[in-house]
Amino acid sequence: MFRKILIANRGEIAIRIARACREMGIATVAIHSEADRDAPHVRAADEARCVGPAPSQESYLNIAAILAAAGATRADAIHPGYGFLSESARFAQAVHDAGMTFIGPGAPAIAAMGDKTRARDLVAAAGVPVVPAVQAPPTAEVELRAAAAKLGFPLLIKAAAGGGGKGMRMVRDAKEFMAAFAAAEREARAAFGDGRLFMERYFERPRHIEVQILADHHGNVVHLGERECSIQRRYQKIVEETPSPAVSPAVRQRLTAAAIAAARSVQYVNAGTVEFLSTEGGEFYFLEMNTRLQVEHPITEWVTGIDLVQAQIRIAAGERLWLEQEEIRPRGHAIECRIYAEDPAQHFLPSPGRIAVLQEPQGPGVRVDSGICADYDIPLHYDPMLAKLSVWGADREAARRRMIAALREYVILGLTTSIPFLIDVLEHDQFATGNTHTHFIEEHFAGWRAAAAHADVAAVAAALHSVLAPAAPLARGGSAAPPTPWQTLGAWRLGTA
Amino acid sequence: MHHTFRHRDQHLTLELHRTGNGRFQVAVNGQPHDVEAALLDPSTLYLVVGGRARTARIARVGQTYHVGLDGDVYVLTPEAGGATAGGPGALASPQVVAPMPGKVLQVLAREGQQVAAGDGLLILEAMKMENRIVAEAAAVVRKIHVSEGQMVDGGALLLELEYLDSRK
Repeated sequence: MFRKILIANRGEIAIRIARACREMGIATVAIHSEADRDAPHVRAADEARCVGPAPSQESYLNIAAILAAAGATRADAIHPGYGFLSESARFAQAVHDAGMTFIGPGAPAIAAMGDKTRARDLVAAAGVPVVPAVQAPPTAEVELRAAAAKLGFPLLIKAAAGGGGKGMRMVRDAKEFMAAFAAAEREARAAFGDGRLFMERYFERPRHIEVQILADHHGNVVHLGERECSIQRRYQKIVEETPSPAVSPAVRQRLTAAAIAAARSVQYVNAGTVEFLSTEGGEFYFLEMNTRLQVEHPITEWVTGIDLVQAQIRIAAGERLWLEQEEIRPRGHAIECRIYAEDPAQHFLPSPGRIAVLQEPQGPGVRVDSGICADYDIPLHYDPMLAKLSVWGADREAARRRMIAALREYVILGLTTSIPFLIDVLEHDQFATGNTHTHFIEEHFAGWRAAAAHADVAAVAAALHSVLAPAAPLARGGSAAPPTPWQTLGAWRLGTA
Repeated sequence: MHHTFRHRDQHLTLELHRTGNGRFQVAVNGQPHDVEAALLDPSTLYLVVGGRARTARIARVGQTYHVGLDGDVYVLTPEAGGATAGGPGALASPQVVAPMPGKVLQVLAREGQQVAAGDGLLILEAMKMENRIVAEAAAVVRKIHVSEGQMVDGGALLLELEYLDSRK
């Protein structure tokens, strides 16, 4: 087993990985940019190293600096988390060449799955259904327009090297096609340093369903069931659940078999996720394989009881899979909500700022994977996801109600977050009935604004606050202890009008 | 004590009287409520309004109060003595400002151009995303204050519009 793992990431996932390592008795090294010196993830590890200035390109994507930090701290393995270098075959290879273990698949599997067009060919050859597409769009405008018209509108433009919705554009008609293509190319080049795109047919109300797999170095592959991640904005998932309300046992059998075939087609090792698009007719098509840990992995952990990060580490250390497929029996239902610093009423624009007040929900079946703390300034340079809230319930409705209660308990003040929006999504009758698809937000929440039904009570609270806690600067950890409620509340009774 | 807050386009005028230890009478826009309140810590107010107990979390951010209540967040701006400007239905500001710091990737509008509601004005890159800044209503672009490639602070003036007010 490894002695020390360097965590090549930031935010909640770096903290998540540090926790797994601590439980396993493995020392950890955090890396951080100059902007992240005071970030919570730095304190979660046993050691920390600065790897460069604020821009990701110079720090969290800086392979040389990260390898130098790993060498200087004598780490014997590197966990890349998700995003950043997690799907960089070059990084995986460089870690290997430096004599350390990359906790993830081998560089060839990452490269094969990272090139979306190549991945498609590989899995199609393995018998996995794929979406009709134009793999290498012609460069000349006339031919490009013709290729798009032939595929048919609506269509989707995607980055060949990409993921996470970056460089992705949906185009409804020929008129907006060229501008969308150019924008996608710019975004792809900025995000991945690779402007190559491909186009595929677009389905009206598909679901996004993915299968978690685990594969060891000895040829064993198991699946851990599916996750449905249909609730998306800007092509990024914001609510995920498992199991999918739309997958029958018969479909699950075919879906998970396809996922395992896709993984085997590239001799995949470690944790991975095979993403499918599922149509209203119940067909499913391979979208891509994410050759890393997923953001939404906690919901699979909830229902299977398997710690995916620890599993990744054990597999990377060469352990043979300790689970047979039949032993993996998902139980109950789990839902995750991603909490972003963004304003759902303003086209989900990022809304950075300082966390003034933070209170995380608690209680049975509630888990918070957080990358923030009180008084923390959300840096502008990185993804605006603050935390993930996940819950478990005996069935879908129990999980849904628990999630709503937990979201209502969650307080983040000082910047705009997606929490009030997520409450409305979870309370929507179409969500309650499981009628979800990837255009759920556009279809049901266009022009959304927070109901804000109790502005009068909020105003009473603000006025009382200004009286009871006068505006004089509040000395942090100041002198006089605040009065207890029993001293200040006077006589009162519960439950009377 | 007299307090006036604005919440979005709503004005809330409060008259507050202490009636006992931790007890208050508060009239909100003339509507009286008996309130019991205790400050549990500098950001936590326990209050019972009309028999219903709640815990409000409160942060002062600049001049504003951010109040977290049962999953919702209310941003209340104190106003000096019952301001009346900008009532319901007031048009969006003719000054389009950057909602966050970022880089002007592309300017989509030209000075003098007439734009419809929802038309793109410029693309601002921030937090790794291209964000399309759109016109809130039909308008003429009066002046553009930024150029492509320029870095801007949050709140920086991007361009000025003159709304075509169809209600006149």
